Amino acid sequence: MHSRGTFPFSAIVGQEDLKLALCVNAVDPLLGGALIRGERGSGKTTVVRALGGILPIQRVVVGCRYRCDPDDRGAMCAACAALGQVPVATERMRLVELPVSATLDRVVGGIDIEAALRHGVTRFSPGILAAANRNVLYLDEVNLISDGVVDALLDAAASGVNTVEREGISVTHPARFVLVGTMNPQEGELRPQLLDRFGVCVDVRGFADVEQRAEVAEREAAFRRRDPGFAARYEQADRDMAVSIEAARAGLGGVSIAPALARMISQTCVDAGVAGHRADVVMHHAAMALAALRSRRRATSADVGDAAALALPHRARRPIERRVPVPPQDGQNDPAEPPQTRPDPGNIEMHQPRVPRLCSPDDAKDRSGDGTAPPADAAPQPPPEGGDAKDSGAHGDADTGEGGRLVTAALAGKVEVPLVELRRTRRARAASGKRMLSQATDHRGRYVRSRAQDPVTDVALDATLRAAAPHQIGRGRGPGEPLRLHRDDLRQKVREHKVGSLVVFLVDGSASMGARERMAMTKAVILSLLHDAYVRRDRVAAIVFRGRSAQTVLEPTSSVSVAQRQLAELAVGGSTPMAHGLWSAYQLIRRAQHLDPTLRPLLIMVSDGYPNVAMSDGDPYRECMDIAERIGRDRIDALVVDSARPALADVAVPMYEDLRPAACRALAERMGAAYFPMTRMSANQLGRLVIRLRVRR
Amino acid sequence: MTLERRAYPFTAIIGQEPMKLSLILNAINPGIGGVLIRGERGTAKSTAARALAALLAEQVVVEGCEYGCDPDQPDGFCDQCRARAEAVGGPLPRATRRMRVVELPVNASEDRVVGTIDLEAALTTGAKRFEGGVLGAAHRNVLYVDEVNLLDDHIVDVLLDAAAMGVNVVEREGFSIAHPARFILVGTMNPDEGDLRPQLLDRFGLCVDVTGMTDVDSRVDIADLRTRWDRDPAAVSLEFEPREEALRTRIRDAIKRCPDIEVPRAVRRVIAHLSILLEVDGHRADLVLARAAQALAAYEAAGVVDVQHVGAVAKMVYEHRRPERLAGESMSGLMNRVIAAEARRTHGTPVQQLPALRPINI
Repeated sequence: MHSRGTFPFSAIVGQEDLKLALCVNAVDPLLGGALIRGERGSGKTTVVRALGGILPIQRVVVGCRYRCDPDDRGAMCAACAALGQVPVATERMRLVELPVSATLDRVVGGIDIEAALRHGVTRFSPGILAAANRNVLYLDEVNLISDGVVDALLDAAASGVNTVEREGISVTHPARFVLVGTMNPQEGELRPQLLDRFGVCVDVRGFADVEQRAEVAEREAAFRRRDPGFAARYEQADRDMAVSIEAARAGLGGVSIAPALARMISQTCVDAGVAGHRADVVMHHAAMALAALRSRRRATSADVGDAAALALPHRARRPIERRVPVPPQDGQNDPAEPPQTRPDPGNIEMHQPRVPRLCSPDDAKDRSGDGTAPPADAAPQPPPEGGDAKDSGAHGDADTGEGGRLVTAALAGKVEVPLVELRRTRRARAASGKRMLSQATDHRGRYVRSRAQDPVTDVALDATLRAAAPHQIGRGRGPGEPLRLHRDDLRQKVREHKVGSLVVFLVDGSASMGARERMAMTKAVILSLLHDAYVRRDRVAAIVFRGRSAQTVLEPTSSVSVAQRQLAELAVGGSTPMAHGLWSAYQLIRRAQHLDPTLRPLLIMVSDGYPNVAMSDGDPYRECMDIAERIGRDRIDALVVDSARPALADVAVPMYEDLRPAACRALAERMGAAYFPMTRMSANQLGRLVIRLRVRR
Repeated sequence: MTLERRAYPFTAIIGQEPMKLSLILNAINPGIGGVLIRGERGTAKSTAARALAALLAEQVVVEGCEYGCDPDQPDGFCDQCRARAEAVGGPLPRATRRMRVVELPVNASEDRVVGTIDLEAALTTGAKRFEGGVLGAAHRNVLYVDEVNLLDDHIVDVLLDAAAMGVNVVEREGFSIAHPARFILVGTMNPDEGDLRPQLLDRFGLCVDVTGMTDVDSRVDIADLRTRWDRDPAAVSLEFEPREEALRTRIRDAIKRCPDIEVPRAVRRVIAHLSILLEVDGHRADLVLARAAQALAAYEAAGVVDVQHVGAVAKMVYEHRRPERLAGESMSGLMNRVIAAEARRTHGTPVQQLPALRPINI
């Protein structure tokens, strides 16, 4: 692998927390690693790679492929453990990268194909987990790594070993590594088990200060063109830093933490509402590593404060009030130890007692389950495209009541109304949180692993080779001859691709109270959903029913700009052809499912529920119920938003001969849909509701 | 075997100045990160990509190298060339080849893009050999990705990763390999068919929107020239050859000059200011804008980058990165605001006011 050159760690502008988070892990590999969250282009990957330049040297067993630790017999591989005296050398700790597209066989290791083919022996070919032992394992885009690989990583991280049982291989080897991951929260959540695995967590973002931005760009350019002055200055600083880390490592064993500070740690964790006890342990480790870095033998309250800022961002479930940790009484700041005995290489700062900085307000977006809160006001409407005087009012109805152009109404308050769940039969789906992966049966999607099956329709050649390799000599193959494959050797590629959903809005455009508000709200929710849809390949469609028909005003799309264009003018008025609407929606969904059988549609009807136009000669209400029955039978997920006032929802309204109540609730029941009475239209509420439904499915 | 088709001359493309400029700048410095061309059909997108490759035409490669390494850039050698260089102890044998356009089909699978096991070698001789994919073929060429918004996300990821790093790292199916992959990335899409994820959009260096021309005279010229071409391509090629050669030389000189052109701190501040104003995420835009301005300065044989250069390319850099609500403001209006603010801030020599974004001579 030719050298790309690594950006020097000490040349990183700012980002003190991030640098500290990485340094403490270099000092204490048992701390648990670091998760770095940040938007695109915030330099996460650059900093982690830069870490590779300041990692310390450590003792290893000579010639061991896993670089076993000569001072830890319990963690040795079988070969080293068998030796009495082990030859020792020193080697620099390094960064091992796991790319997003890595397949499981490269991660855990597998059979050495060449050895099998040539000599007929089954020999283990180590994978990335082997290379990572005693090193730093870097997972880029950790939230996008396939589940199978994540499972293998979690296993190894928890147990400290990697066990391989595949392709005729049975091997266990040590796999202790410092886990460092980066992710962009906008691209999806991390599984809770994986999230918890990371000792510390730092949130980064780009700079909003002109000087800092300019400095970042200038240093990057100097690095790229290999400016000699730049290299000389920062490479020296990096070397000094590596020395500091080595010294801190050596001194770590002698660092202690006073009982009062230990109490402070646990109190902080309780206040933050963390789950389990891992946070406490991490803070202990971190506080001591910080003390070691700062050349002290006792941890101080400043160290604890910094440790909290590092260990809690991904664990705190309650915001902590801003209070400075009060130093306990038994002066543990030993006056005999001067604060700094080594020249400060310039990047490890003496922090003042700091308030543990927890989730920023932006983080509310990142938590799974709450989803994004759509803006309270709908986005200002862009001017309608020139010449695009859409005649969506070309329904030329004699019945047109209010008519007119849609106006964005300011949307009302934020009273939370509980969702009424009617009896629903829900299929169990193996959905992993928000990622709704499905094992694709066609040839689309990422190849994640292989499996033996009959018949094989999508050959995994590498796995097939590995299966066939050990048997070649036995099957009488000579050197240079074609491979002798048996049917049993064939392996099928298992692929994964994200399943998208289709959210269909069915909106009552008839003349009634709040018709305009209904439209405005629906539109706002659609637009905010589409912004969110980037992450998931979702599409949104919209159908409006009014007058005597239903019209698809937005064909399924994932494009915000298309939606804005198509929904620019939506007329309201006329009577209520709800059956037409339901039928159109049903057909649209069926069509979409036909094109993609893995699709997960969600139907959302917004209406006040007084159907008075039928498709045929029958009773409008009964027609609606019939179609609702079909929707329910087809198990299409649905939500009915009842915009009639609650006082009237169960009271008969004299529109029918036999005085039936508004239809929404009954329809919802028949559809097996969720039912949500919503009197004052709020895009916020509806948006959140839709997201809850999507996440849960 | 594909026939060697004659490419329509780059200098014969009428109009579409922003698109042409974006391609030229990338040719000067592929580190800019490629260009995403958004627009309807029939707007010369693929014609321009092919024309560019034909324009840059001849390049010197290491003889026998699968990736076409540049013998004069030993830092960028693939592993095999590096090993050979060490063994030989001197310069490696040279050959010439033509730059070409490597296409990535919409339904490409990951192993075809990234590279995979050599099927034939494996089955016939049992040897485990790596066979480079599209990324391997694309090194030092143009990689043209049509309908990039219809590609599977993970493939676009892999593509953009390689484009950013200049290397393709393969850790799959039993291989652990890295090879150079520095190419001019050209992606196209029709925005009506869906958007690209913001994270992926951000990784394209530049973005230009193209539409058919509405000026009747230009349309007539385009149709006329195209017809002449269809009838006698050799004649049209000959007719444009002097212009092609002039452009070719200009680009070559710019490539040599580019790395040494200074980007003054004051200019970097203007760039930073713009990014903050436009509320872009992260720092990529700043880096790309500086590189693009530098490439433009090289193209215009300027000794140093100034605000004019920044202004000329800013729109292409921010087009796909800023939020919808700021889409309306004109770039020159923004630039003037920023320059004025900077002048106030520094109280120093005010950076010059931009009257209007002046057109570039291509």
